Amino acid sequence: MMMSEPLDNYGERAGKCEYLTLAFSPTSAPLRSRWRNNGLSADFLGDYVTTFLPANGTLPAFKRRQNEVKHAVTYIANELLENAMKYHQPDVEIPIRIHLELASDHIKVSVSNGVSVVQAGRYRAFVEHLREGDVDDLLLRQQEESARSTESTMSSLGLLTMISDYEAQLDWRFDIHPTHLESMTVTTIAILPLKGVPGASA
Amino acid sequence: MKNIHGESFDIRLEEESSTVLFKGALRLCGTEDYAPILDMLKETLASPAMPIVLDLRELDFLNSSGITMLSRFVMEARDHPGIDVQVLASEAIPWHARSLRNLQRLMPSLSIRLT
Repeated sequence: MMMSEPLDNYGERAGKCEYLTLAFSPTSAPLRSRWRNNGLSADFLGDYVTTFLPANGTLPAFKRRQNEVKHAVTYIANELLENAMKYHQPDVEIPIRIHLELASDHIKVSVSNGVSVVQAGRYRAFVEHLREGDVDDLLLRQQEESARSTESTMSSLGLLTMISDYEAQLDWRFDIHPTHLESMTVTTIAILPLKGVPGASA
Repeated sequence: MKNIHGESFDIRLEEESSTVLFKGALRLCGTEDYAPILDMLKETLASPAMPIVLDLRELDFLNSSGITMLSRFVMEARDHPGIDVQVLASEAIPWHARSLRNLQRLMPSLSIRLT
């Protein structure tokens, strides 16, 4: 099942592009003890992607663009991984995966994790809320509400900042687990257009 | 002077100048983990030598939970009459220009010096 969103051009991996996938075994180790791995992995992805950026323009402009892209990928990967690690259903053998693809005009970062059908339903309701609302208004409201916030408010702020501050487009997939029918794999997909990156000529 | 530091960050409160200096990368796990830093920020509101300065020029990375922590501080400052908040930011660190403007939406009098 894929929730429709006008991202058809980006929905599937287009023929030839650079890509990288990391998969993390589901574990019952406390979240806090493996929290630093989110940052390590996100930093790696951010740095990795810069290898493939075409060296357009003058050296200072290229360096600036590299820095912008590196940071944007790191921020998005970190937020998606943090959410996946927080909400992953630990008792089902579904790995947490992060996948990165670099195309000429965009970078796609997607993260998947296992959730219960009930959690998936709640997340879907949030996704609908996000699609119907004005992102800047939602962001302001979520910030105001953060004074009495729950962790779920905090997690939605991560997604809202990706859209508002990084011009990312988001899409989601909800797939039923082939053997555990009470579980689903949720994939959150962020598309970062390279045209929106200052200094980018792509 | 007070310090909070972790594997990847260092935060220092200079009480006499109401300045809080941030260095490194902050990606703590959520509200609870950010509470000591928020408490340190709130100490500047008790006896402010005007203005309160948040020096983020060496803060390379902040996750959204950290942005929420800054938002909470700004909303608290907004509720104290006469409080002036200045944010020192760097053009070389991409998230500063991208995300700090959200703080200004919460507190229009907040000033951001991007250098």
